[in-house]
Amino acid sequence: MMRKNLLSLLFAVFIGLQAFAQDKTVSGKVTSSDDGTPLPGVSVSVKGTSRGTTTDASGVYKITVSGNSTLIFSFIGFTSQQVPVNNRTIIDLQLASDAQELSEAVVVGYGTQSRRTLTGSQASVKGSEIATMPTNTFDKALQGRAAGVQVLGANGTPGGAAQVRVRGVGTIKGGTDPLYVVDGVQINSNSGSAAFTSSNPLNYLNPNDIESIEVLKDAASAAIYGAAAANGVVLITTKKGKSGATKISFDAFSGIVEPTKYLDVLNTQEFIAVRNEALINQSPTTEPAAAMRTTLGAIRLDPALTADQIAALPTYDWQRESYVSGKTSNYSISLNGGSDKSTFYLSGSYNSSDANVRNVDYKGGNINAKISNKVTSRLTVDNSINLSSFIQRGQFGGPAGGSFLGSPTFSAPLILPHNPIYKDDGTYYGTPADGGIAGVLNQNVLMVSDLNKIESRVNQAIASTVLTYKIMKGLSFRPSASVDYRFIKGFNFQDPRTADAFNVRGRIQNQNTENINFILNAVVNYDKQISSVHNISALAGAEYRRDQSENVQQSAEGIPTPQFTVAGAAANPITTFASWTAFKKAGVFGRVSYDYAGKYLLGLTARYDGSSRFGANNLWGFFPGISAGWDLSQEAFLKNNAYVNQLKLRASYGSLGADQIGNFDSRGLYGGGFNYGGVSGIAPTQLANPNLRWEQNVTTNFALDYGLFNNRVQGSVEYFIRTSKDLILDRPVTWLSGYSTISENVGELQNKGLEFDIRTVNVDKSANNRGFKWTTSFNFTQIDNKVTKLYDTLTTLPGRAVDGWIKIGYPVNSIYTAEYAGVNPATGRAMWYDNNGNIIYRLAGNPDSYSKIIGSQIPRYYGGLTNTFSYKGFDLEVFLNYEFGRTVFNNQSAFMAENGGRLFNTLRSIYENRWTTPGQITTVPRPFNGNAEVLGSGITAGSRFYEDASFIRVKTLTFGYNFSRELLKKVKIDRARLYVQGYNLYTWSKWTGFDSEFVNLGSGNNGTIPQPRTLTFGLQLGL
Amino acid sequence: MKVTNLYKIAVLGVVLTFASCTDLLDVQPRASIDSVTALTTEDAVNAAVNGIYDRLQSTNLYGRDLVAIPEALADNGRATNKSGRLNPEYQNQVNAHFIHWQTSYFAINQANLVLDALPKVEKMTQANKDFVEAQALFIRGLLYFELMRAYAYEPTVEIKEASKGGVPLLKTGVVDATQIKLEGRASINDVYEFIYSDFTNSIAKFTSSGRTATASFANRTAAQAMFSRVALYRGDYTNAAKYATDALATGSVGRFQTRDTYVSAWRSANHPESIFEIQYQTNENIGVNTSLQTTYTTLVASGNRTTTGGFGDLVPTKALLDAYESEKDADGKIITDVRRSLYELGTAGRGTAEIECTKFLGRSGQVNLDNIPVIRVSEMYLNRAEALARSGNAAGALTDLNVIRTRAGLPAATGLTGAALINEILKQRRLELAFEGHRFFDMKRLGLDIVKAAPVQNLNFTDFRVLAPIPTREIQANANLKQNIGY
Repeated sequence: MMRKNLLSLLFAVFIGLQAFAQDKTVSGKVTSSDDGTPLPGVSVSVKGTSRGTTTDASGVYKITVSGNSTLIFSFIGFTSQQVPVNNRTIIDLQLASDAQELSEAVVVGYGTQSRRTLTGSQASVKGSEIATMPTNTFDKALQGRAAGVQVLGANGTPGGAAQVRVRGVGTIKGGTDPLYVVDGVQINSNSGSAAFTSSNPLNYLNPNDIESIEVLKDAASAAIYGAAAANGVVLITTKKGKSGATKISFDAFSGIVEPTKYLDVLNTQEFIAVRNEALINQSPTTEPAAAMRTTLGAIRLDPALTADQIAALPTYDWQRESYVSGKTSNYSISLNGGSDKSTFYLSGSYNSSDANVRNVDYKGGNINAKISNKVTSRLTVDNSINLSSFIQRGQFGGPAGGSFLGSPTFSAPLILPHNPIYKDDGTYYGTPADGGIAGVLNQNVLMVSDLNKIESRVNQAIASTVLTYKIMKGLSFRPSASVDYRFIKGFNFQDPRTADAFNVRGRIQNQNTENINFILNAVVNYDKQISSVHNISALAGAEYRRDQSENVQQSAEGIPTPQFTVAGAAANPITTFASWTAFKKAGVFGRVSYDYAGKYLLGLTARYDGSSRFGANNLWGFFPGISAGWDLSQEAFLKNNAYVNQLKLRASYGSLGADQIGNFDSRGLYGGGFNYGGVSGIAPTQLANPNLRWEQNVTTNFALDYGLFNNRVQGSVEYFIRTSKDLILDRPVTWLSGYSTISENVGELQNKGLEFDIRTVNVDKSANNRGFKWTTSFNFTQIDNKVTKLYDTLTTLPGRAVDGWIKIGYPVNSIYTAEYAGVNPATGRAMWYDNNGNIIYRLAGNPDSYSKIIGSQIPRYYGGLTNTFSYKGFDLEVFLNYEFGRTVFNNQSAFMAENGGRLFNTLRSIYENRWTTPGQITTVPRPFNGNAEVLGSGITAGSRFYEDASFIRVKTLTFGYNFSRELLKKVKIDRARLYVQGYNLYTWSKWTGFDSEFVNLGSGNNGTIPQPRTLTFGLQLGL
Repeated sequence: MKVTNLYKIAVLGVVLTFASCTDLLDVQPRASIDSVTALTTEDAVNAAVNGIYDRLQSTNLYGRDLVAIPEALADNGRATNKSGRLNPEYQNQVNAHFIHWQTSYFAINQANLVLDALPKVEKMTQANKDFVEAQALFIRGLLYFELMRAYAYEPTVEIKEASKGGVPLLKTGVVDATQIKLEGRASINDVYEFIYSDFTNSIAKFTSSGRTATASFANRTAAQAMFSRVALYRGDYTNAAKYATDALATGSVGRFQTRDTYVSAWRSANHPESIFEIQYQTNENIGVNTSLQTTYTTLVASGNRTTTGGFGDLVPTKALLDAYESEKDADGKIITDVRRSLYELGTAGRGTAEIECTKFLGRSGQVNLDNIPVIRVSEMYLNRAEALARSGNAAGALTDLNVIRTRAGLPAATGLTGAALINEILKQRRLELAFEGHRFFDMKRLGLDIVKAAPVQNLNFTDFRVLAPIPTREIQANANLKQNIGY
C-alpha cells in the first residue's frame, strides 16, 4: 500500500514535469444542454492538478494544459464531466443539469463541501422547488419536503408564523425553532411582539431569491454553530450575480384565496328547540309553555310567539359573511449579470394576499441587491443589502385568536342564527348603541371587523459585507460584518362604535419594537490535496453576536369621532409600557475534513461558545462533533459499476447546545411595574440560579446514502438518537417562598427516529426531444419522543396543563385526562372512566384517580410525496404531505357542542346525535342548561374533544407549460412558463373543526384563522 | 509568510475571545434590578412597600374574589350564568372556591423582605422606618387573616375531626433558593396570635411614625378596625369591642354617613366610610370580564337601562331582597330601607334583566373602575354590637345596632335580648355589608348552614366545601403541608 502511494506520488511529479514541458492552450464554450444558453462561472480544472479557471460571461474559457491531461467541468446544479484533451485546442461542451447531482458543492456551516464527501446529516431543498408556492415565506413551503423537518403553519394568516421542528422536540421549556442563517447572517427568528398579527420573521426573504436551503440535522454538521444549534440549523443561500450579459427573470402569480370549509350549524328553529330542551332538562318541573317563554325572552324574541310564528323566523349565515374569498398576487423581478471583475444580482418583489377571513391581509415587498467585486486577484468584496417592508391587517383578539366576543373567526359559527346581520337600511344590526345582539356573543362581529383597524407593519434591513482574501493557494481569510435591523409597528384601533370601546369612546394602542442584531465573524479556510488522494480541508473562525430588542407601548381612550385614529387625539392616556432586553454571544470554532480518495471520510468540528443568557458560573461551553464515512462505490470492486453510483455509510456523534431561554433567566431579580396609588413599586420576580447553563443535545446518527442505476434511484436512510440533557425546567417551589419556580438544568428526554427518502426517475425519455419523464420523490420520518428524566424522584412534572403533560416514558406535551365514556343510555348524562375502568359522572377529587395519557401533541410520522410528470412542454407536479399521531384539543368544537347549554349555536352533527330518549346509544349527552348536570362535570371535560389531528393533504398540484425555445427565440425570450397551481386542494382528516393545521399560541384553535385553499395562475419569464 | 499570517490570526482570535471574557458577555437588564442588593435604600424600600399594595389589587384578593365569592358561596348572591363566571361558586361545586393562596404568600414574602431589610437601610429616619414597618406589618397581618378565614376554621367553631389547623407561618423573606422553608400548617391559635402581634406592633409603629392617615394606604385606624374584625372571628369579644371603639375615635379615618348621603357615598371615587380602601388607577382597570362592576351589574350608570356594560353574573337572591323589605310600618306598608336603593333593575343586554347590586358602578369615573373598600366604618358599629351582645351587654349592643337601623330608615329596635338581639345584629350586618365580601365568612365563623334556593343544594357547615382547597401543587411541592379534607 505504502509503496503504491509512493509510486503514484513519483508518477504525479513526473507527469507534472511532463505537462510543464508540453503546455498548450485549450479554449471552448460551455453551454447548458437544457436550452443551449452559455453557462458563466463553470469551473474548469485540470485533473490531478490544482490548475483551473472559470468560464466568463459568455460561457467561454481558456486554459493552458498538457495535451494528454483531462479537464473537469463542474458547476452547481449540473452533472460534472471529465473530458480528455487528446491534443485538441478547442473543446466545446454541453453540461446537463441534474438537481440531484452527487458531486455538487453544498453549503455547510461557514463554507461549502462536496456532497459526495459529506458525512453529517443534512437535508437540501432547491429554491426552485418552492418558489411558486403562495406561502410568503419559505419555511411553510418546506412542509413535507425534507425528511426530519416538521413544519406546521401556525394559522392561515398570510405572512403568518410557522412552527419548524428539526428531528422532534428536544426541550420542555426552551424554544424549538431552528437557527436560521441566511448567507452567513444569523437571523433573529423571534417574531418578537409583532403584537397584533401573526407574523413570520422570514417574510423579508423573497422565495424567488433563494438558491438553496440546507437543514443541518445532526451534531456533526451543526456543532459549528455550538450553543445555538440544538434545534437544527437552516442555512439559506440566496442567488448571486453571474458574470455575463444581464439576465432578467420575471415571475408572477395571481389567484384566489378561499375558505376550505364552513361548519354546518343549526338554524333558528333548531336552536330554539334545543335551548328549550336544555332548560327543561335542567328543571323538569317547569311547564313547557313557561320554559318556551323563558327561552324566547332570553334570546330577545317575543316570549308570546306561537309555534307557527317561530317556524317562520329567518336564519342568518354569519359564517359566510366572515369567512370569505380573497385575492393573492405576487410579482418578482430580478436582474443579474456582470463582468469578470464584478457581478450583481438585483431583485424586487411585491406580494399582496388576503386571508380567507374578512379584513385580514398582507401587503409587502422587498428590494435585494448583491454586488461582488474583485478588488485584486486576491481580494473580493461582497456586499448585500435587503430592504423590506410589509403590512399585515390582523384579526380581532390578536395573533392567537381567542374566544373573544368581537372576533369574527371565533364568533361567526357560534352567534345565534336568528340575529340579523344588517338592518333593512343596510346598516349593521345590533350595534352597542342598540344593545348588541342576542346571545352570549352579543357583538355584531362584522361591524367590529369592518370598523376596527388592527395592523402590524415591519420594516427590515439586512446588510452584510464580506471580504475574502486569498493569502496563498488553498488558504483564505474571510471576515464579515452584518446587521439585521427590524422595526415592528403595531397599531390597534378600536372604534368607539364597537362594543369593546363603546363605553370608553374608542381605544387606540400602539406597540413599537426595534430589534438590532449585529454579527461579526472571521473565518480562515485551508484546503490541501496531498498526493492526489489525501484531501484536507480545514476552517477556523471566531464570531460575536449582539442582539437587543426594545419595546414601547401606549394606549389611550376617548377619541372625539372615529375619524381620529391617533392616540394624540384621545382624552385619556391609559398605559405606557417599555421593555428592553438583550443578549451577547461569542464563540470560536473550527472544522477539519479529511478524505482519502473520496472513499474514507472523516470530519471533526468543534465550537467553544459563550452566552450572556447563562449563569455566571457557566457562561462558556464546548460543543464537539465527529463524523466518518465510507463510500463503497469508490472502492475498486464497485467503481465504474453502472448500477451502484453511490453507497456511502456514515456515522456521526456530537454535542450541541440549546440557548433558547429568556435573556435573564439565570438572574435573581426585583422587577418594576408593581405600582400602587399612582406611585411606582417593585417586587421580587425571580429566584437566582448562577449555575444555569445551556441544554445539551447529544446526537448519534447512522446513515446510508445511495445512488443506484445511473442515479435514477437516490436517497438516504438515517437513524438517529437525539438525547437532550440538562433540560431547563421551571422547578416548582412552594408559593410560601414568594416565588412559583426556579429555573434549573434537571430534565432529560430522547428523540429516536428514522428518516427515509427516495428520489426516483421512473421514466425518462426527455433526452429524446422533450419526451415523457416521470419522477417521484418520497420522504418519511418516524420520531419517538420520550421524557427520560425529571428532578428528584418525580415521574411527572407538576404544574403542567393537561395537554402539556410531562411524564417519564411518554412524549413531551402528552395529554392527560379522563377518557370520555359516552352517554348513559338511560339518563343521557355524560360519563367518563376512572382509572379502575369504572363509570363516573363527575371528575372530582384527585385527577390521578381518573386521568391517563390519551395521546401526544407531537406527531409520530410525517413526510411528503411528490410526483412530477413532463411531456413536451407540459409539466405536472402533485405534492402531498402528511402527518400522523398528533392529538389536539378542539376548542372550537367544544364550544359548538353545547346544544343550548349556553346561548351559543351548535354543530348540526352534535344536535342530531344528542341524547333524547332512554335507551338511545350516542356519544352526545342530553342538552342541559349550564352544560353540567347536577353533581356532574361539564360536557366538554375529559378526552371528548381531544381529536386526532392527523392529515394527508394535496398540498400543491401544479400544471405548467414551457414554451419551446425555438418559438421564444423569435421574440428574444430565453424561457417562458405558464402554470396553474392549487394549494391545500384537498385534505383527508377526522378533524371536526375548520382545519387541524394550527399551532396553539395560547387559545387553542379558538378564533384561529384556518389554512386557506389557494388557486393561482402564474407566469415565469426569462429574458 | 503562511506561518506568520496564521499566527497573527490565531492571536487575534484568542485576544478577541478571551481578553475580556466577562465584558464580552456582559448584559445588565434594564427593567429589573438584582434582588440581593435591591432593598438597600429608602427609595427602594418605599417602592417595595408599594409593591405589596399592588398585590392586594389582584382579582384573587380584593380585586374581585374576596368581595364577590363570599356572596356567591353563601345566600346573598345568585349566579345568572350570563358569562358563566361564579356559577360554580354559586353551586358550591367542589374546588370552586377562593384561590388567593399564591398571591397572599407572595405579598407576605414581600412584606417579610421589607421587614428584614429595614434595619440595614442607611440614611432613613426612624419615623420613616416606623411608617414602612407599620404598613408591612398591617398587610402581613391582614393577609394571614384572609388566608385563615378561607383555608381554616375559626377557633370557636372548629370541627376537630376535620380540621388540619391554621396556615403555614412564614416570618422571614426569601431571595435565593437556600432560604426556602417547607413550613407545615401552624395551629389556628398560633396564627391568630401572630396576626394579633402584627396588628399590635403595626398600631404602635403607626403612632410613632406620626403620619397623617389616609384610607388609600394602611393606617392606624385600619389596623385597629381589622383587629376588631379578627377578634370577632376569634370569639375574643373584649378586643373586638375595644378595637372597634378605638377605630371609631375622633380623628379616625372613615366618616359615618347619614341616610341622605348613603347612596351618594357609593358613587364617589373613594367611599367616605372607608377605613382602608384599595385604590385603582385608570390603567389598572380590571375590565369587562372580572371587575366587580361587571360581576354585579349590566349597568354602566344608575337608571340607564339602554346601555349594557358588564355581564351581571352575580345578582341578589330573592331572600336578600326580601330581607330589605321585611319590616312594615303601622299601616302595613313596607318601610323604605335606604340600602335597598343600591339594587336596581339591570339591562336585558346579556339575557333576562335582573335586579342587580350597584355598589360598584365605576365610581372612579370609568366603567369597571372602582376603588374597593376593605373595611368601612359601619362595620365597627356592627362588630361592637355583636361583641357586646355576646358579652351580655344588651343595652350597649342595642345602641350600636340602632345607629345602623335608624340610618337605614328603620325604626330603632327596642327590648331585644339574647338570641333575638344577636339575630337582628346579624341581619343588619347582612343587609349593611351585602356584596362587600362578608356573608360567607360571617356564616362560616358562626358555624351556620347555608340555605340556597332550588335547584341549588344547601351547604351545611359540616360539609368539606366550607373550606377552600389548598392548591394541589402546594401539597406536591411541600410534604409538610396537609390538604383540607375532601380535596
